[in-house]
Amino acid sequence: MLQVKNLHVSVDGKPILKGVNLEVKAGEVHAIMGPNGSGKSTLGHVIAGREGYEVTAGDILYRGKSLLGMAPEQRACEGVFLAFQYPVEIPGVNNTYFLRAALNAQRKYRGQPELDSMEFLRLVREKLEILHISDDLLHRAVNEGFSGGEKKRNEIFQMAVLEPALAILDETDSGLDIDALRLVADGVNRLRSPERAMIVVTHYQRLLEHIIPDRVHVLADGRIAASGDADLAIKLEDQGYAWLEQGGIVALNKMAGSHGGRRAGA
Amino acid sequence: MNVPANATAANLAENWAESLRSGQLEQGPSWLRTLRSAAASEFLLHGLPGNKDEAWKYTSLRRLEDLNPALGVTGTGVDAAEWIPLLSPAGGFGFRFVDGHLQWLHQQAPQGVSMLSLQDVLSATGQDQLNHLRPLLEAVDVGGRGHAFEALNTALLRDGAIIHVAAGVDAGLCLAQWGLGGRADCRLANFRLIIILEQGARLQLLEQFQDAGQPADKPGNEPQKNAGQALNLMLQAQLAADSVLQHVRLQSAASTSILLTFSDVHQAARSSYTCTGFDVGGGLVRHDINCRLAGDGARAEVNGAFVLDHERHVDHHICIDHLAPSCSSEQFFRGVLGGSSRGVFNGKAVIRPGADGSRVRQSSANLLLSDLAEIDTKPELEIYADEVEASHGATVGSLDEQAVFYLRSRGLGDTAARRMLTVAFCRAVTARLPDAAMAEQIAAVLEASMPKLG
Repeated sequence: MLQVKNLHVSVDGKPILKGVNLEVKAGEVHAIMGPNGSGKSTLGHVIAGREGYEVTAGDILYRGKSLLGMAPEQRACEGVFLAFQYPVEIPGVNNTYFLRAALNAQRKYRGQPELDSMEFLRLVREKLEILHISDDLLHRAVNEGFSGGEKKRNEIFQMAVLEPALAILDETDSGLDIDALRLVADGVNRLRSPERAMIVVTHYQRLLEHIIPDRVHVLADGRIAASGDADLAIKLEDQGYAWLEQGGIVALNKMAGSHGGRRAGA
Repeated sequence: MNVPANATAANLAENWAESLRSGQLEQGPSWLRTLRSAAASEFLLHGLPGNKDEAWKYTSLRRLEDLNPALGVTGTGVDAAEWIPLLSPAGGFGFRFVDGHLQWLHQQAPQGVSMLSLQDVLSATGQDQLNHLRPLLEAVDVGGRGHAFEALNTALLRDGAIIHVAAGVDAGLCLAQWGLGGRADCRLANFRLIIILEQGARLQLLEQFQDAGQPADKPGNEPQKNAGQALNLMLQAQLAADSVLQHVRLQSAASTSILLTFSDVHQAARSSYTCTGFDVGGGLVRHDINCRLAGDGARAEVNGAFVLDHERHVDHHICIDHLAPSCSSEQFFRGVLGGSSRGVFNGKAVIRPGADGSRVRQSSANLLLSDLAEIDTKPELEIYADEVEASHGATVGSLDEQAVFYLRSRGLGDTAARRMLTVAFCRAVTARLPDAAMAEQIAAVLEASMPKLG
């Protein structure tokens, strides 16, 4: 589904990603962890096509095609979705109106007929039910005045409606209390499917107690320092990122080589 | 006589002088003739304002000079009945002024509401009513160059309408429809609208200004090069205690049209005036809105959104005068400017001595969509009283790129995303309309008028 190859990215001339390699297959959930400033969010943004990031080397292949030449909307239409760490408040744009416009833009791109408002409403109700989200967010302006939890739930709701093939969740757990976290994680778990790949970017392990990843990658100083299974996240949580920076990478890599152990949250 | 195409301001006043002196407006009693001729003299003495006059610093009358309209009206054939307004809400009484002719709309005014033509009042049979209007007509300040258009309006006082709502009556919706353009010869039409609300009366006034030749100056099209027309409209509203006037304006005139409106609203205790104006058309448009909060607890709210493209020029000059204690006022404006359009917002609130406990809010936010567009925004507060709550802010900017990316990341194209955000920016004003259906219709007009991006 996704192949990130030797990706180098700079912002304002300053290198942030320094050779990231990553492969995510359909049906897999990968977690990307790492300390602040390690480049986690940059990776998500570059895949989604945000401006201001300069790819100096490497490539991002999605279903065999390079994403780098594509505008953000084209990537979205191809099935790439980024759940924002800080969803933007857009006063004056109704949530339902916006989402229908977005879905229809994607359907048009794929040569599918656009949904009229009745068809769209039916789809939306179905998704709300699956995610156990109340329908009051339909009537409000996009994210305006939403609590932190509501904003993140709205991201998951958008993901459910747009049904991307590749979803990147950028620190979806930040700023959430445990109940909101559980709701969001439940939503994500319901959207796991053999056709869909997900990348969960997070600073803390706690989200991964609810969304069990197939693979965990540790990003440090712009590179993937270690990769492993769900246990890697637990180890990181126990030791903290400081330990990682003080030479723990060697230990991590050893761990990553071993298998078994307890699964987080199990 | 042929008039040169580019008359100067002095020439224009000169060209009008003959009409003003010729004494063709002899209707009415002697006091009215005196009023007219005094106003004509003021106008002839001072002429039109120029960029040296503070209130006209950002708005040149060059286009009026170029248009060089004659005074008065001569009907040449736009049929008022074929003129289709952009908004057609169900019900409503009112009138249409197209091609210089006042025409009542079909529905009758409800009980307790009287609607009169100023021309009828000026006839011999209307003398009683006219005498009632005398203080109001005489109250218009016509002195000096800054009041040239009020002077002109008074000097030419003939076409007009008077709407009176009796105490305690809810008059419902009154439609005022103005047709501009569409004729071969250029004229400056002159109209006086007088609204009198007695104690506790209520009225909704929906004004629409658009080209008489077609439903609207179709957004996105190049400006049509038809003969322009000019309208000099003066609104005088008297709001007795506890009365409510809700005023909505939608201006979508042709690019060649010139519209000058002057509103004077006098408010007694606890009366409420809300004006929400939308400008998406016109060549040169100037709105002067003056509210005098003369009784305790009166409230004035002047809102506006303008979406301008091409070379349109729209200027709002607002002055809200707090004369009594515990009054509140708000000015809320959103401007979107593309092409080489220009917007002006000069919003002033004055809190006079003794107007303690006043509350004032002003907000003007503007989006510039093109390098050639320009906005001059100037909120002003003058406070001479105690315990005043005041806030004001003015911003000029472009769209939030984070929001643009957010929408694009969901699949919307760059242009669609920007358009959605720009319309949303203006919805802050439509959201203030009490009628949700009308708010949606006007939002659609604003959307259709959005300038091309980039």
